[in-house]
Amino acid sequence: MIETLFAPFSRPYLARALIEAVLLGALCGAVGVYVLLRRLAFLTDAITHTVFPGVVVGFLVSGRAGIVPGALVCAVVAAGLFTAIAATRRVNEDAALAVLLTAFFGIGVVLVSRERSYTADLTAFLFGHILTVDSTDIMVTGAVTVLAFVVLVGLGKELLLRAFDPEGARAAGYRIAALDLVGNMLIALVVVAAVQAVGTVLVIAMLVVPAATARLLSDRLGVILAVATGLGMLGAWLGLSVSFEASRGHGVRLAAGATIVLVLVACYAVVTLGQSVRRALTRLSPPPGQVPR
Amino acid sequence: MSKPTGSPAIVFDHATIAYGRTAALERVHGTVRAGEIVALVGPNGAGKSTLIKAVLGLVPVVSGSVTVLDRRPAEARRQVAYVPQADTLDPDFPISVAQVVLMGRYRRIGWLRPPGRADRDAAAAALAAVGLEHRAADRFGLLSGGQRQRVLLARAIAAQPAVLVLDEPFNGVDAVSQEALLGAIRDLTARGAAVVVSTHDLGLAQVSCDGVCLLNRRQFGFGPPDAVLTPDTLRAAYGGAALELGDRGLILAHS
Repeated sequence: MIETLFAPFSRPYLARALIEAVLLGALCGAVGVYVLLRRLAFLTDAITHTVFPGVVVGFLVSGRAGIVPGALVCAVVAAGLFTAIAATRRVNEDAALAVLLTAFFGIGVVLVSRERSYTADLTAFLFGHILTVDSTDIMVTGAVTVLAFVVLVGLGKELLLRAFDPEGARAAGYRIAALDLVGNMLIALVVVAAVQAVGTVLVIAMLVVPAATARLLSDRLGVILAVATGLGMLGAWLGLSVSFEASRGHGVRLAAGATIVLVLVACYAVVTLGQSVRRALTRLSPPPGQVPR
Repeated sequence: MSKPTGSPAIVFDHATIAYGRTAALERVHGTVRAGEIVALVGPNGAGKSTLIKAVLGLVPVVSGSVTVLDRRPAEARRQVAYVPQADTLDPDFPISVAQVVLMGRYRRIGWLRPPGRADRDAAAAALAAVGLEHRAADRFGLLSGGQRQRVLLARAIAAQPAVLVLDEPFNGVDAVSQEALLGAIRDLTARGAAVVVSTHDLGLAQVSCDGVCLLNRRQFGFGPPDAVLTPDTLRAAYGGAALELGDRGLILAHS
C-alpha cells in the first residue's frame, strides 16, 4: 500500500504529474470554498466551457505552448462578460449563462473537428493529460496558486461579506461588481491553470467537490477552508496513485484526471453516507439535554 | 419621552425617488435629528424600503434631495450602518455570530488588513449590548429569528455609526428580542446617533419613537407620533383600511 503511494513518483514524469496535481488540488479546494459560498457552481461550469474554444485556437495557432494563452484570453473575457451580466440584473442570468456556455463550447467543437486528429485532441482538451505536464505548466499553476492565496487572504473579509450579505455590503459602500470581477477572474485563472492537467470539463469537479465535502463536515469557515484544501491535495495524490497502479499492476487503463475526480466524489459519498448513518443513530437515541432544532 | 434636539442628521427636502420612469415615492420632506428615532410606517409596498435605500444612497433621488450628515448619501456611508431583515440572509451560511458582528468593523479596518484586537473587542462589546455574548461561537443560522436580528444590530453597533438604518427589525420577533433591540437602539441614540426604522407596528412607533414618517407611495405625514398617527391621516394613508380602536390605538384591516 505504502509502496503504491510513494514508489511511482520517483520517475520524473510522474513526479511532475504529482506536483501539478497536488498544487491544483490545493488551489481548487481553496477557491472552491469561494465558489460554494457564492453558489457559483453553474457560473464556474460556464467559464470552463467558454474557455474551450480558447484552448483549441491556442493549440491550432502555436501548438501546446498556445493552450494556456488561448485559455487565458477566453477565461478573462468570459469572467468579465459574466460579471457584467450579473451586474445588470435585467436579463435572466441562468439563461444568459447557458446560451454563452453552449455557444462557446459549440465554437470550440467546430474548430477542433476541422483537425485530422479530431478525437484525440478533443479528449485531451476536455479531460486533460496530466502525465505530460511540463515544468512550464507547473510554474503556471504555482503562480495562480500564489495569486489565489494573496487574493483570498487580502480580500477575504470583503469577499465573505459580499457572499453573506450583498445588500449590506452595498450599503457599506463596497462596489459589488468590482468584488465579483475579482472573484470571477480568480475562478477563470484556476480553470486556465487546470486545463493542461485535468481538462476543461473535469476542473469543475475539483472546484466543487472538496468544498462541498468540507461543508458537510463543518460549520466553521476556517475548518472548511482547511479541509477543502487538504482534501483537494489528498484526492489528487490518491487518484494519481490509483490510476498509475491500475495501469501498471493490473493492466487497466484509468484516465488520471478522471480518477482524481472519482476519488474526490468517493470521499463526498462516504461523508454523506456517514452523516446519514450518524443522523439515523441520533434519532434513535437522542443525547440527554439536547434540544432539537 | 423627552425630546432630543440634536443637529439634523438626515434631511429629506421634497425628495422623489424613482426606479426608471415610475416614481416609487414622492415628495418626502422632513428631518431626522441626532439622538432621535424616527419610524417609517405605511402599508406593504408603501415605499419604506425605498426610502431606506435612499438614505443609503442605493436608489436615485430624481427631484428634491436627501442629505445625510451634510453630504450626499453615498458619501456618508462610512458613518451609516444598515441592519437588513435577518430572514433575507442564508441560514445555512457557515459563519459564526462573532464573525457576523466583526463585519461591522470591516470599513474601519480597511482593505487588505485583518481585524485586530481592538476590532474584536468592539465586536464583543456590541454583541454584549444586544445580550448575546454567550452565543458568539454559534453558527449564525442556528439562532432564532429575533436573535439573528439582534446579531445584525450588534454588527451595526460595532461600526459605531452616526446614523443607524433598520429595515423591519421587529417583524416576527419575540418580546424578549424586541426589548433587547429597543434597548440597544436607545443606547445608540443616547450617544447621539440618529435612527431610522421601518415597521408595521404603529403602537411601537407611537410609544418608542420620537418621530413618525407615514408613507404610501407619497408622504402623508412627518412629525411627532401624536401629530402624525391620527385616525384621519392613517385612514388616508391606508386607503380606508384603518379602523379606530379606542382613543389612541388603531387596528388595521389589510385589504
